Amino acid sequence: MATLPQLLEEDIQQLDDGLRVLLEKTDATTALLIDQGGFLLTSQGDSRHFDLTTIAALASGAYMATQTIAGLVHETNFNSIYQQGEQYSLYAQRVDDYCILVVIFKAQVSVGLVKYYAAPAVEFIARQMTIAQERDPAATLDLSAINVADTRDLFKRRDGS
Amino acid sequence: MAIINQATKELQVKIVYYGPAMCGKTTNLVQIHDHVQTAAGNKGKLVSLATSSDRTLFFDFLPIEAMSIKGFKTKFQLYTVPGQVIYNTTRQLVLRGVDGIVFVADSQYDKMAENVESFNNLEENLKSLKLNLADIPYVLQYNKRDLPNVAPVEYLEFLLNNREVQVPSFSSVAHKCEGVFEALNMITRMLLHKFVSRGTPQYA
Repeated sequence: MATLPQLLEEDIQQLDDGLRVLLEKTDATTALLIDQGGFLLTSQGDSRHFDLTTIAALASGAYMATQTIAGLVHETNFNSIYQQGEQYSLYAQRVDDYCILVVIFKAQVSVGLVKYYAAPAVEFIARQMTIAQERDPAATLDLSAINVADTRDLFKRRDGS
Repeated sequence: MAIINQATKELQVKIVYYGPAMCGKTTNLVQIHDHVQTAAGNKGKLVSLATSSDRTLFFDFLPIEAMSIKGFKTKFQLYTVPGQVIYNTTRQLVLRGVDGIVFVADSQYDKMAENVESFNNLEENLKSLKLNLADIPYVLQYNKRDLPNVAPVEYLEFLLNNREVQVPSFSSVAHKCEGVFEALNMITRMLLHKFVSRGTPQYA
């Protein structure tokens, strides 16, 4: 299974720039970059009115289900999904083997406009992902800062047991 | 795979509850959601994509944020898979990017064949994603221990935990929240140990 490249802070800044430009050009409300496993990588725009963590998980599931349907109908190019709503609509497009761009926009915003500007945004994001991939595929972060001895009971029951 | 966001100092981890139909996977998440002790605002909503008869159709999803460890916010995303045999494609989708697994077995004698079939199905589905169960931390949870017709734990161990490396196992009564947090805490501990010793998470 494909896995994400290692993204550093500078990568995230670039990805955020790409999402910001997309929002400016389209007047969309929120843009998210998610990985195919359902994690939210980064987002721009309104994050107060939406549960982005859950949207990332569900959008990933919906997109991946669509990919599976594509395989069943012998289609290789189901690379986006679009849900039209009465207040908000949602558009999701494949970026690369690892991640998906999700755009939430008001229903009166043209989906054509979103698709038009999503294309260069996806290219921009994919390029940054490639840079990250080629930087140092074997590099790892020192996680020794996390003291696993502290994790004995990470989750506690409210009743104290 | 797990993701570390260096910009926000967050560690995101995906744990999947796997097992045969009606074994108690969703009940585990419901109990965690109802009983987990969190600071205000860091427990997400439990989302269930279920049929009208409350059978899991796609998955259940519960995001929870655990306490901060040395400056890292740890965000756990808990998923269940649909247990019914026909939903195998869905189970494969949910397993994408999995970091740790809680295999929930139904302790009743007449469910042993389903337990074994589901466990074998888990291994096959991981293989289809080019993953190997031996490389993924997992624990076993023997659920429904309060029912009268349960098999002895030793028998469940013989069926499901009879490998070169044995994994931690827990007896549970999920609807009473017994054994639920024990399994969750063990899998999170195993995951974090793995990350520290191997440095495997992805970075964001």
